Amino acid sequence: MTEFGAIAWALRRDLTLAMRRRGDILNVLGFFVLACSMFPLAIGPQREWLQRIGPGVIWVAALLSVMLALPRLFEHDHADGTLDAMVASGRPLWALVAGKMIAAWLVTALPLLALSPALALAFNLPTSTLPVLAGSLLLGTPVLIGIGAITGALALGLKSGPVLMTLLCLPLYVPVLVFGAGAVEAQAAGLSPLAHLALLGAGMLAVLLLAPLVAALALRISVE
Amino acid sequence: MSSGATPIGVESFGGLKAASLALVRGERTLFVDLSFRLAPGELLRLLGPNGSGKSSLLRALLGLTPLARGQLFAGPADSPVLPRELCEQALYQGHAHGAKGELTAIENLTLAATLDGSLTADDAGPILEAALDEVGLTRQRHIDTRRLSQGQKQRLNLARFAIALRAADRPLWLMDEPSAALDASGLAVLEALLGRHLARGGAAIVATHLPIAPHQGVVRDLHLDAFAPRRVREGLAELAQ
Repeated sequence: MTEFGAIAWALRRDLTLAMRRRGDILNVLGFFVLACSMFPLAIGPQREWLQRIGPGVIWVAALLSVMLALPRLFEHDHADGTLDAMVASGRPLWALVAGKMIAAWLVTALPLLALSPALALAFNLPTSTLPVLAGSLLLGTPVLIGIGAITGALALGLKSGPVLMTLLCLPLYVPVLVFGAGAVEAQAAGLSPLAHLALLGAGMLAVLLLAPLVAALALRISVE
Repeated sequence: MSSGATPIGVESFGGLKAASLALVRGERTLFVDLSFRLAPGELLRLLGPNGSGKSSLLRALLGLTPLARGQLFAGPADSPVLPRELCEQALYQGHAHGAKGELTAIENLTLAATLDGSLTADDAGPILEAALDEVGLTRQRHIDTRRLSQGQKQRLNLARFAIALRAADRPLWLMDEPSAALDASGLAVLEALLGRHLARGGAAIVATHLPIAPHQGVVRDLHLDAFAPRRVREGLAELAQ
């Protein structure tokens, strides 16, 4: 089995499992939509205010939704012994981890991305910002998943694992949030969002390269 | 699906040698100065009370748990190997069943055997059916694994080994309590599989409480209890007197 074969194996496996647990996907989506729709209810229907906070709220909700789903990335596999089997298979662990990360992105981040234009309209954001919002989520969510995979692997098997993971993740998520929401705000203010998007893209490339390797190392420590 | 490195085939497996292994879990030393040799065609039964380190030794051989001391050698020339390098030669069945409860028996088997490299897409169907038939799970093949009994889950694991018999690589089988929940006919299947594996020049290390006796191959016992630090100290004291 080549590296590519290992990626495809893990991807297909986790997608099949996600299809068996559709409730998990819907939970994340439901959380995303509800969290976003709480704000207009709390703040009131002033258009300018909603427009002002819209990008930030959507980004924070997306970030929390991804974080809600991430503890599951390795936890179930650790509990039922399949993670041990993957490590013991002698296949490149980084490739298996990469496959799992791609699957996690497809089932958690992609639906958020698809829903984001509808939520942006609910916040009365100008239509010119919709592609920028989707683009910033497209570049930013892989970073969220990558960082989450590393911290999830580190916190695996610990009694307070999910809480610890949240504490480790949140500070690292701050730059993604700043540049993600910043891109949309820049566009709304008539400025170019390219600088923000370029930084997000650079972050994504770095995470794509490093996260599978680092998460695989962390997993080896965690299965001990 | 060929691996980057050349897979080690059963015919070129030169055995495994372990020298002065020691394993520490937390504060506790499980065993010290454990040495053994495993030749092709041999089955090593790991015996010992609960907590003597049987499962930990199996995991340590694959680098899942770090060894505190010791060295492993493999191949006809006894060349040193790192535990992690043994993974590609080994087929490991851990204490947990390693099956996803929400997938059916045949789906779990397909995933496991594909990861092992013993199943390719072209001829998967008949091979899977034959393996499930061999371990007596034909009627359960489309049932979610979480609905299977403990014994049936162990049989499902055996099916993975049955498929591995068809492939030439992974000559070293490491099994952790493969028969704990098996009935008499399940045990017979396990013994038959081990016998065929040993007969083709493979080797196996099995942690067990129950007598497993394949009809072919050489069976040797390793009592881990004898290498517990307390026992080793007592032995040294006797020698000194």
